[in-house]
Amino acid sequence: MLQNNNLKICRKLVWRDIKLHKGRSILLVTAVALVCMLYTFSFSLGGMIRDGYLHTYRMMYGSSSHILFYDLSRPQAASLQGLSKVQEAVMLSAIGVLSDDMMEYRSVKLAVVSDGWARATEAVPMQGRMPEKEGEIALDELTIYSLGIPHEIGTEVTLRWTPADGGAERTDTFRLCGWWDSLMGQTETCAWITADTAQQLYPGGVKRVALGVTLYRPGNLEEQAQEMLNSLGMRDISYTTNLAYNEARREFADSQAMEYYQLNGIVVLCGVLMIYNIVRISTEQNIRFYGMVKSLGMTPRQIRALAAWQAAFYCVPALVPGWLCGFALYAAAAPLVVIGLEQNPAFQFFRIWPLLAGALLAWLTTLMACALPVRRVAESSPVEAMRFAEGGCKRKARRSRRRRATTMQMAVFGLMRHKRQTMFTVFSLLLSLCILCGIWTQQVSYDEDKYVDGLALNDYRLEDASATIGLQRYNPNSRSITPDLLRKLAEHPAVRDIGVISTMEVPLYAEEEMRAPIIDTFEGKDENGVTRKEYMMDEPDWMAGYEKMRKSGEYTGIVTGVSGLMLENAIARGIVIEGEFVPEKFATGAYVVAAGANSYEVRTTPPVGSKFMIGNRAFEIMAAVPYESTIVSGANSRQAQFNVTYYMPMEAFDELFPGHGIRNVAVDIDRDRQEEFEAFLEQLLEGTGITVTSFGDYQWNFHNAIFHRYMIPLFVGGVMLLIGILNFCNALVSRILVRSKEFAVYESLGMSGGQLRRMLLWEGILYFGMLLSVLVPVAAAVTWVWGRWWLAHTNQWCITWRYSLLPLWAVLPVLFTVAVMVPVCSLGMVQKESVTKRLQSQ
Amino acid sequence: MDIITIHNLKKYYGSGSSQVKALDGVDLTIAQGTFTAIVGASGSGKTTLLNMIGGLDTPTAGEVIVDGVRLSGLREEQRAVFRRKKAGFIFQNYNLLPTLTVEENILFPLDLDGSKPDKKYFEEIMELLGLTDKMQDYPGMLSGGQQQRAAIARALMTKPSIILADEPTGNLDSQNGQNVAGLLKMTTELYHRTLVLITHNLELAQLADRVIRMQDGRISEGAKQCCRTII
Repeated sequence: MLQNNNLKICRKLVWRDIKLHKGRSILLVTAVALVCMLYTFSFSLGGMIRDGYLHTYRMMYGSSSHILFYDLSRPQAASLQGLSKVQEAVMLSAIGVLSDDMMEYRSVKLAVVSDGWARATEAVPMQGRMPEKEGEIALDELTIYSLGIPHEIGTEVTLRWTPADGGAERTDTFRLCGWWDSLMGQTETCAWITADTAQQLYPGGVKRVALGVTLYRPGNLEEQAQEMLNSLGMRDISYTTNLAYNEARREFADSQAMEYYQLNGIVVLCGVLMIYNIVRISTEQNIRFYGMVKSLGMTPRQIRALAAWQAAFYCVPALVPGWLCGFALYAAAAPLVVIGLEQNPAFQFFRIWPLLAGALLAWLTTLMACALPVRRVAESSPVEAMRFAEGGCKRKARRSRRRRATTMQMAVFGLMRHKRQTMFTVFSLLLSLCILCGIWTQQVSYDEDKYVDGLALNDYRLEDASATIGLQRYNPNSRSITPDLLRKLAEHPAVRDIGVISTMEVPLYAEEEMRAPIIDTFEGKDENGVTRKEYMMDEPDWMAGYEKMRKSGEYTGIVTGVSGLMLENAIARGIVIEGEFVPEKFATGAYVVAAGANSYEVRTTPPVGSKFMIGNRAFEIMAAVPYESTIVSGANSRQAQFNVTYYMPMEAFDELFPGHGIRNVAVDIDRDRQEEFEAFLEQLLEGTGITVTSFGDYQWNFHNAIFHRYMIPLFVGGVMLLIGILNFCNALVSRILVRSKEFAVYESLGMSGGQLRRMLLWEGILYFGMLLSVLVPVAAAVTWVWGRWWLAHTNQWCITWRYSLLPLWAVLPVLFTVAVMVPVCSLGMVQKESVTKRLQSQ
Repeated sequence: MDIITIHNLKKYYGSGSSQVKALDGVDLTIAQGTFTAIVGASGSGKTTLLNMIGGLDTPTAGEVIVDGVRLSGLREEQRAVFRRKKAGFIFQNYNLLPTLTVEENILFPLDLDGSKPDKKYFEEIMELLGLTDKMQDYPGMLSGGQQQRAAIARALMTKPSIILADEPTGNLDSQNGQNVAGLLKMTTELYHRTLVLITHNLELAQLADRVIRMQDGRISEGAKQCCRTII
């Protein structure tokens, strides 16, 4: 007897119901599309964050290959290449490594052109081409700038390089035939030459090669690399695995994406509430319908199938608009989240799975919402189901003491109904507003001026082309910042103040009395019982420099000429640890200011009053200050990792090092003329390789950091507020729709349409007043308490407490409009049906 | 042969002082193929008794056996199939599904079952109830009498063991009511169905083979006699 559960009839019933209630169906499809949009957005964004991290790791690794095997013989490379798990392999034959001092932080291999390797390492010339003729060379831009090579095809390039077999360093001249943009985090790249050139330079031919392999399955790369080598009986072959496939890094990338995926938890909750609230408008009708079909023999399983079909019918037309809107939102947000890519990351990291996951979750959310009323009646008897429907209308009868009812009193009476629904509406609005106001207060408390003033010493800082990133050793011979350029810059009417800084590494000698205090400082223990030297144990170059100084007194001095703003940056703004900075004495050129480690408490320089020679000039240390690392860009040489910086007037520096280069320029401008100045700067610096860091960059960084920090909570709060407002609308609409018969009674007893509207208007105003009396004090109190708590516990330095309830004030007019308009509009819908028909309805 | 056997059937709502005894120990048997009318004042327990017989509601105590099926032992899934196959319902407000045509409404219980309708039987019923030209109409397009005739056709379509009618003429004017009542009696006799009908209409009750009077959730003494002698 329990067989034959026909489910097709459910589909028919649902489809007919959708056709009958077109308005509600369109509303539901819109709600499902909104939910699908949110899922698509958050999944896509989370996926992009993950892919963005992996992309960064891949860039840091410098190759898209999964494993790089080094120092292989050609037969060994061929064997590895032939393994079944290898999908693709690229080979590199390098004859040596560039060994110019300026290249010491990066490894540039002089290698025979390999298109595959070039593609895998993004070392394909964007300007010019790969070498085709003997003597041609293609380089990356960082190398070009570090070595001070002009950007001209055909330029003669003289390079120092060390052969791969460890032979003596050689110097050869090539013709530049192309170059490409360097990847900023990449510590290894190639200088491409032809096979003929290589043969000529390295007559024995390249016997050892490197091999980059791409596997079919890139998991557990360490294990796979070892397996590959073991299977071929190869021992002592060195290899590296791609950072992007490192388990720990992948886990980290996943954890970053998880923050965005977690957003979906809120979307599920909000989505179910939103859809359920629309479904709920006709809950009583639905439950009566379920009772009716149950009485005719519909089983609980068939009733559940009704809900499933409902979900499917509302979902199918909602998916495409949901996907499109979600993707559009994602495409708009993506460049703000992942920065530094030429292409919009939304397209670069596009994946299909977020759309599928979005569709699946949208269906599940809709199913949950549709199943809520079904759940109550599916397992109950038809009579019980009917009782649910009737139960919603029951209320305790009260005797009224008044003889006459005014529209106002009737409105008060109307407001008292549906208490549960009202509480739910108030709660959802309150929750979202507390979140929004709390987050908003935190966000506006971040002080942009404080941040920019704290980080940007000046409005603009120009950086020599050889010192744009920390991986580049500053080349004093680069001279991309020329005196002519400096003059033009200083003459621009927008410029208020300017300053330059030049550095030169000079070997110096410290007498016993000069070095002893430094040694005492580094060997002495701090409050944790650890010597300062021990903190530097992981820095071998620093340790070597320190030990050299300790044993022999020889050390590297960074002789630094400063003028104008740069003098202020280096000295006047800093804290003087020892001695006194006297500008007049400093200007004579016989005194220097010493800076050691970046410590505000301990002197790490020779003592004030120490005298020493630089070249033929004698200097005396007049003051010791902490080292301000942000005033110069690029890196010093490895041997200067342990150093003492000596600031002197630029005039004295000029005399010591005539014709020297300029490392950085600081500029302050009249900010009203920012646009004009930046246009001038862009033109002035075109093709020079000089980079600029501006206060605008810090402002942008500030906004970007705030955006990243608060995007998710604000988005969640916004969605919850939207749901809250929709719930409020739904509550108002359903209050009117379920009372259509009651209104018919009023009308049949002589109440005019105007009186009815007035009553509902009062009801709306009272409802709004009630919301106001709850939302304002509670949201204000929660925001205050939460904000003060946050202020007491945050360790951010750029905060100025600003208490703001802007989201609350912004939403109140919306709530008032909704409270007044929706009931009156809903009444219009109800009155489309005749009084008689409404009186006859159940 | 009895098709319905009811023993000590109780249905209570609420508890304590506010407890309502809708049925308070009803014992009843109804023979197959008979027409039984249940009469009584509002709130006497007529509809509750009918709901119990049709498996629309669950009793507080007692048992109901219909055509050999003990309803108290069934889960909701089984009760639904029981209603679909063994009982035909006719309600005062017709309970036709507004989104389905008359034909679809009539075939609805069969559709729920996934069974194919007996075409000849279907056409015969439609002819008999005068609905042949209304088959593609929606319920909203029909008069009250026509809607109730469609409900009778739906109740007969699955060839159920019992037909349960709750005030079937309650929403109809007297002329339509008489017509519907006549058709109901005629069709149940024609197809040898057992009809249990609730009514306030004494004229309609007079058509029954047996009349049962309900009072305060019990069957009153005299009501167990043959209806015609009582009325």
